[in-house]
Amino acid sequence: MRSDDEKPSLRHIALVGNPNAGKTTVFNALTGLRQKVGNYPGVTVEKKEGRILFPNGTEATLLDLPGTYSLAAASPDEQVATDVLLGREPHTTVPDLVVCVVDASNLERGLYLVSQLIDRHLPLIVALNMTDVAAQQGIVISTSVLERELGVTAVPMVARKEQGIAELKEAILGTRTATGKARRWQLPEPVARECDELVGLLQNRHRLADAEAFHEAMALLTADSALIERNDRFAPELLQHVRKDHEKLDFLGFNRSSVFFVSRSEWIKNVCAQAVTRTFFPGMSLSDRIDRVVTHRVWGFVIFLGIMAVLFQAIFSWAAVPMAWIKDAFDSLGGVIAGVVPPGDLQDLLIRGGLAGVAAVVTFLPQILFLFLFLGFLEDSGYMARAAFIMDRLMGKVGLHGKSFIPLLSSFACAIPGIMATRTIDNPKDRLATMLVAPLMSCSARLPVYALLIAAFIPAGKILGIFSFAGMTLLSMYLLGLVAALGMAWLFKKTFLRGTPPSFLMELPPYKLPSLKSVCLQMWERAASFLKRAGTIILGASIILWFLASYPKLDHATPAEQLNHSFAGRAGHLIEPVIKPLGFDWKIGIGLVSSLLQREVFVSTMGTIYNIENASGGNGGSISLRQQMSQDRDPATGLPSFTLLTAICVMVYYVLAMQCLSTVAVMRRETNGWKWPLFQIGYMTALAYIVTFIVYRAGLWLGVGG
Amino acid sequence: MTQPHSTLVDAPLGMRVRIRQLRHAHPEMSARLRELGFCEDAVVRCILRGNGNMICEIQNSRIGLDNNLARTIVVSTGE
Repeated sequence: MRSDDEKPSLRHIALVGNPNAGKTTVFNALTGLRQKVGNYPGVTVEKKEGRILFPNGTEATLLDLPGTYSLAAASPDEQVATDVLLGREPHTTVPDLVVCVVDASNLERGLYLVSQLIDRHLPLIVALNMTDVAAQQGIVISTSVLERELGVTAVPMVARKEQGIAELKEAILGTRTATGKARRWQLPEPVARECDELVGLLQNRHRLADAEAFHEAMALLTADSALIERNDRFAPELLQHVRKDHEKLDFLGFNRSSVFFVSRSEWIKNVCAQAVTRTFFPGMSLSDRIDRVVTHRVWGFVIFLGIMAVLFQAIFSWAAVPMAWIKDAFDSLGGVIAGVVPPGDLQDLLIRGGLAGVAAVVTFLPQILFLFLFLGFLEDSGYMARAAFIMDRLMGKVGLHGKSFIPLLSSFACAIPGIMATRTIDNPKDRLATMLVAPLMSCSARLPVYALLIAAFIPAGKILGIFSFAGMTLLSMYLLGLVAALGMAWLFKKTFLRGTPPSFLMELPPYKLPSLKSVCLQMWERAASFLKRAGTIILGASIILWFLASYPKLDHATPAEQLNHSFAGRAGHLIEPVIKPLGFDWKIGIGLVSSLLQREVFVSTMGTIYNIENASGGNGGSISLRQQMSQDRDPATGLPSFTLLTAICVMVYYVLAMQCLSTVAVMRRETNGWKWPLFQIGYMTALAYIVTFIVYRAGLWLGVGG
Repeated sequence: MTQPHSTLVDAPLGMRVRIRQLRHAHPEMSARLRELGFCEDAVVRCILRGNGNMICEIQNSRIGLDNNLARTIVVSTGE
């Protein structure tokens, strides 16, 4: 133990709390932009760290732990929180101080976690958040009474309005929370006696620390299964002693599975009774009124579909303006390069190799930002949990529960956070099924592919005068992914992942105005990682592709002949027989192969290829890629090589195929082996091939091919 | 009038009922329920029924749970 006068220069502080208690808002308010997001080694649980700057110039690190209701871990997510707090996580420093965020409007439940932290003798500060929301509901909490009853410092605050942040920092700086405080709640007499006796045995025989011994005693006395789990850990005499205790307590009529919960919650109720004053009881809250409609059996669905339709419409129409700016900026940059670098291979490499590829992908940044903005708002407003609630029935039909819907919805942004979000699912089979189908949901990397093809080939026009064909085609692609995901989940749950139907149990947080700051921070993180990829992998891939598509050089050849003759052209021709049944030519083949690692590379590939092919006039940047693609003709037949049907087939293929190295890596790490990621690649590629083939044949039959 | 002891799934909309017992086959599930406030002696109110699931008010928060789970929660209407 460190004494106060020899405080280390950098203290480690951990932030815990119930989900929806406003933990992230407190984290953002304390750290500002000084954040770093990473992973705990071995698991995909996100590790978020930041730095607190104190008014006196000193600093401390702040670790944001996953939200949890208790220290009795059920999901991988909560396991991490518990492990860090108890010093079991090998790569993370044991926190010097724990700040527990408690929702003031739900003190009773927050104190459950607080009392467990006190039991563990952790140095603690309670951040009593959202006191404004509590006040609106007639709940007034006396901080001094709370501090007296808990024996720890409590700071009332409204993190969203940055109220109480300075006080919280002061409390952290001058923390006087001594460790070694006694447990505050009492067990009924016979149980307390047996428990104390067992704690003594565990301390003497197994050298367990006081807090650990109490925790173990509680687990051993509660469930018979705990005895079996700890068979190897404790001496046989001790386990025999526990069995006798079980008999004794059962004989006395105690419900061992609930007595600890009940005793703890009685104490909590008593604390609340002393610290909380109810000035009035509000009638039906606004949240309840909204829920009447939003979670309605029929209207809930209608509203959900409406929100999705607006989302996809917005991605197309609102994002068009900033997209044009970005394209113009790249074009003028190309012009500048053309002015400085003399014509030749170097200029060609810079403009048609690097710049064209990167520009083709970066142009879609506004659409990706819009997607994250919408998803961020849905999550932050509390709507996401309602979507899970109304989707529970539908998910139940395919053998999953509503909770699996949130990872799937997050996969609209990216399958990686989607797969990471499955860690809230306790049942391993359900979790695996959700992870296997999550990449079928159309992620933001597919958006550039869809957007390019839709803009080039889907006719202008509107349905009912409001929704454009373009927006609705995009929506259909997303729906196709959703249907495929649900269908495959059903198949998996019927076959090798068969199990009992899962239970739906989930908190529905009150609706609130989303915090623009949180949403923007998240958008910024995503945009930064997207741009980083564009600047590294995509730039590299574009340059390699430019080389492969430009060499070996043919003398006096048209650009089309040159491409045909190049390495890339030959590779495309090589795989053409395989993809011909899908209506794809060798140029699309180059795109498919080059985007095996990352989907959006398809767009930069098309950008590079078409720029090379049409190099005859000007600097190539003046005609847009979509125009070039729609005007491209097969030299042999004179027919367009890209038709509406081809565009649809390419999109369908991209909806279903697993073309993402990062997802494979996350799956490997998450499932601890290659079996499931390889299975995932196999089934998704097969599914993509078969469905695209069917769509192509059906299209030809219907005469869409043209 | 409902019987003095029935399960949460039969609790009339809007009425406060008291939890008497959790009898889920898996103790972990009962523990989970207790952590969220569905503890013996707690008062709960069903405020909405969905498709095969329901929303309850407990400890000033809203919890969504499915009917199968609600059937494992024994409640009484008498105080």
